[in-house]
Amino acid sequence: MAQQQGMDSALFERRLRPVYDNLEVGNNRKALQESEKLLRKHPNLLCARALKGLSLLRLGRYDESHGCLQTVAEEKPTDDSTLQVLSFCYREMEQLDKIVELYQHAVKQNPGNEELLAHLFISHVRVEDYKAQQAVALQLYKAQPKNAYYFWSVISVVFQGIRGPESALPEKRKIYLGLAQRMVDKHIKEGKMETEQEAFLYLHILKLQNKYQEAWEFLTGELCAKLYPGAPVSMKFELLKELGNWRELNELLQQLLDADRDRWDFYKEYIQSSFELLKLTPQGVENGDKDSLARCQEFLQRIIDSSERKKRGPYLARLELHQRMRAEQLPAEKLIGDFDEMVIEYFRLFGDKSCCTHDIALFLPSISMNQRQALASKLLLESGVTSTSLPKNKEQLQKHLCALQISRMCGSHMDLPADHLLAFYTALKLHYEHGRTTFGKKLLATEMGPSDAYALLAANVMYDLSRRENKSDHLFEALCLLQYVLRNSTSNFHVKLLSLKIYHLFGCQVGAQEMYEYLDIKQIQLDSMGYVHCQLLALGGRFSGNRNVYDATLKFFTNSYKERLEYIALTYRFCTFSKMEEFMNFKERLTNSLQYVACSVEAQICDLVSCYGNITQNLSAYVAMSIEPAEDRIAWHELSDNRDLGAIIRWDPLHEVDAAEERRESFDQEVEVLQVRSLMLRLFASFIDLYHGAGLKDSPAGAETATLELLRESWTGLFQRLRVMNYKPLAQKFLVNLLPTRLHLLLDMPYERFFDDLAQLVLDLQSGSAKLAEQCKRVGDNVIATMELCVQTINESNESNGIDGLWKRRGQQQKVAASLEMLSLYAFLLSVLNDKLQVSSKTKTKKKPVENKVDGPQPISEKERSQMLQELMRQLKHKFEACDTAIRSWKAPVLPRDLSSFMSDMSLKPEVEATLIGDVSATFKDSHELMVTELRNLLKDKIRMVAK
Amino acid sequence: MTTLRPFTCDDLFKFNNVNFDPLTETYGLSFYTQYLAKWPEYFQLAESPSGQIMGYIMGKVEGHLDNWHGHVTALTVSPDYRRLGLAALLMSFLEDISEKKRAYFVDLFVRKSNQVAINMYTNLGYIIYRTILEYYSGDQDEDAYDMRKALSRDVNKKSVIPYTQPITMRELRRQMRHDH
Repeated sequence: MAQQQGMDSALFERRLRPVYDNLEVGNNRKALQESEKLLRKHPNLLCARALKGLSLLRLGRYDESHGCLQTVAEEKPTDDSTLQVLSFCYREMEQLDKIVELYQHAVKQNPGNEELLAHLFISHVRVEDYKAQQAVALQLYKAQPKNAYYFWSVISVVFQGIRGPESALPEKRKIYLGLAQRMVDKHIKEGKMETEQEAFLYLHILKLQNKYQEAWEFLTGELCAKLYPGAPVSMKFELLKELGNWRELNELLQQLLDADRDRWDFYKEYIQSSFELLKLTPQGVENGDKDSLARCQEFLQRIIDSSERKKRGPYLARLELHQRMRAEQLPAEKLIGDFDEMVIEYFRLFGDKSCCTHDIALFLPSISMNQRQALASKLLLESGVTSTSLPKNKEQLQKHLCALQISRMCGSHMDLPADHLLAFYTALKLHYEHGRTTFGKKLLATEMGPSDAYALLAANVMYDLSRRENKSDHLFEALCLLQYVLRNSTSNFHVKLLSLKIYHLFGCQVGAQEMYEYLDIKQIQLDSMGYVHCQLLALGGRFSGNRNVYDATLKFFTNSYKERLEYIALTYRFCTFSKMEEFMNFKERLTNSLQYVACSVEAQICDLVSCYGNITQNLSAYVAMSIEPAEDRIAWHELSDNRDLGAIIRWDPLHEVDAAEERRESFDQEVEVLQVRSLMLRLFASFIDLYHGAGLKDSPAGAETATLELLRESWTGLFQRLRVMNYKPLAQKFLVNLLPTRLHLLLDMPYERFFDDLAQLVLDLQSGSAKLAEQCKRVGDNVIATMELCVQTINESNESNGIDGLWKRRGQQQKVAASLEMLSLYAFLLSVLNDKLQVSSKTKTKKKPVENKVDGPQPISEKERSQMLQELMRQLKHKFEACDTAIRSWKAPVLPRDLSSFMSDMSLKPEVEATLIGDVSATFKDSHELMVTELRNLLKDKIRMVAK
Repeated sequence: MTTLRPFTCDDLFKFNNVNFDPLTETYGLSFYTQYLAKWPEYFQLAESPSGQIMGYIMGKVEGHLDNWHGHVTALTVSPDYRRLGLAALLMSFLEDISEKKRAYFVDLFVRKSNQVAINMYTNLGYIIYRTILEYYSGDQDEDAYDMRKALSRDVNKKSVIPYTQPITMRELRRQMRHDH
């Protein structure tokens, strides 16, 4: 540590050590005490004052911390310790510009100081000021002529050209990239290029300018061979393609494939280059000469013939060539052979590998439906397993699975009559059990069972059947089967994901949560996989229970948000130019994650719905949420879809699956849901702020009213737009399809009218409008209608329970939750209005009445307003009591069939069946009871809230 | 049948069919980004013809003088793509990169109880160089084997002369500090 005011460094460190130590272990109060003790002796010790600011920050005393840090910053410190502490604090507070100022001052006082300049450079990186980066990097290079600093300058110029504010102007981009190239050219000429990352950057700059020939010469030249021996061979592919040098590419790939025969990336490039060469060949080749495709086929055949150990590569490549030739109306069959026969040969050789299904599936879209089904039949025959036989070994079992999966992908299950599907399901169960007991013993706990995929397929089939019949019994049975598989195969995440989906489909949140926890989703998986659970919880029947799930997700995003800038700084520190743009794009994706934004909004709504304290406590909690109604902080056009939709395995009919369309459609709808939810949150906050914020804020009079009216207009406008868009619910054709978004629930339930009328009520109450009584009635009618929706839904649930307690369960729970959400928010609002009106009324009674000098209707008196409000609160209390009565009478779902009928159908051992069905049934019962308990507790809190 | 390519940040959103495997840890972002920033060429991904992630390898190069070596930090293959030679392919790639960087050897740590992995690495030419006591912490701490394979620069194969005595974590850390 640097010396300060005559104190030697050892003493300095010893004095400050207790503060650092306490901060490090999170003992912030003690750290504050230690820093204050030190400051009593040495009041001008800057680092101690900065550490005091950090302690206050950690203790949540933001205003004090801000003041403390500000005074230190104003001293323009130059010692590293103080600067580091201040930088850390400003990063925590997202005040990155202040870090720039800090180091600018420090550098000004110590010009040419390498360490300070490096920090200044990184501070510019954090705010993406590429121009300033360039200037500082050059200063660094002058101070210390290291390659790192020179290339920091180069990359800063590149970024001005491709990412900076002028990057959209082609002429500017050209100038910047040209400059960057000249800078590197100069360095090369002087013999100063040192590292592979510098070589990469030069290649990158050339490619950005489309200077592919120069890039090729550099890549294949002496300097690059020396510095960048590990340059990916794909760089050569890219350049040769851009240069149109298909012949050289073709020859290079032959060499590579001779050495490495199982590289799909090489085969694809090789085949493409062969097609490009074909275009270059004049028509009517000389007799005897073979065209490039014929040579390609010969090459592949030679690899097949000469390989001692069979590899998948050349066989798949042959199929790829065949497919591409057919696509261009070229005589594939004549050159290569019969497509079906080649697929069968592939299956014969590799069908015992679990990847075979998706390998063959690659080529199915290129043949007709009839041909697909014929092929599927042939593969089933080839597997050697018939309807009356079982696999003899693990390899045959895997082949059978592959053939069945291909069969489903070819649409073979779609037109089967119900009894055939049921028989098929029974056969799949038998195969699962046979495979488990015959080949699945003595597995490690970390291995999946060899026959697990039969059960997964069975679940898909049973969903097909349930959907056809609009009944839950088959799917419930499949859920029990999946739970059975999970006992035997504890690491099979495919089973967990499908079980989670089915539990959600049936509205069983306890079961879903159990599966979610079993998957152990954490870290970035919370973003990419959170969609399987988090987005399905909201309005699913519970409120307080959801909060913990949101918290875990939000904690990940909060932490990664803080860290994101340090990742990018890391790439500069190591001069990893090849990763810089990737890291910056990744940061944007993470920051704008739909999952992050949606969880934030839902968590806030959940807090408002669930609040249960007295009015003071609730308002404190509300203020801490820092909702700014006037600000829309969401970058709508930059929201990122980070979902990993491919993690859930599927073998659905290929002609019925458009994964890209499903992703786009679901994302669009989820964004619309977020629009509704975030606008609802802001609108509701504007109601509260109109009454609660008036005395505390400096905003001009009427600003809050204007905000409220603007948001109200946006609210009704949003619903109008959504009706015009006429979104269709997401397709539910297959088990693996995403469940519908909540968009249609929000449109069907009276959210629009409810909050629009509340807006008017709030305004009329404030102004004492003569129409207040009328508006109170309208709001009261909405409350009645919402309560009736809740009660009616529960009654319908109870009535249909004997027929099917599960199929519509989720939708029913959603309606009840939505009703209670609206009423709960209304309760909070009423409690605030009542509190503020009473305060206002008491204050005014102390004043002498002012003689009215204004013509026109007089505003309704405070007393009258208060009375109307009391009446609304009484009404709401009664409606809550009615809801509570209904919820108390809400029956647990009657499960599709009783134990005895299950036992007769399932082919498992009786004791296993009984335990299994009992456990699954208990999960549904527990889930219902927990929901009822939580909802009734919520209602109890709300009743107390409005019982004044 | 594999595409080998650099692991990218976007792959962090798509690697769940690999990372849901119980033997594969999902680390915090700073772990992945540190490796990607410092040793990007050591982080490679194997992709299937249909575009699915089949597995990946994460490693680094470090050490001084004749301890300059490649290290395998993580190697994982999706359960749906096992027994296809992917682990060997990924290991071969890392060894090749280490050769180009003039490393003397490649090493890795593996649980003593993980016989499947030990067999695989042995088949790939790795020897058990030493035992590291209680390297893995958990419900029960577990020893690790430090397995090594000499590269061409180690002409006399000095790097794979095994230790006869196990070492402790503290000794390992001390040695690593000396190397940095």
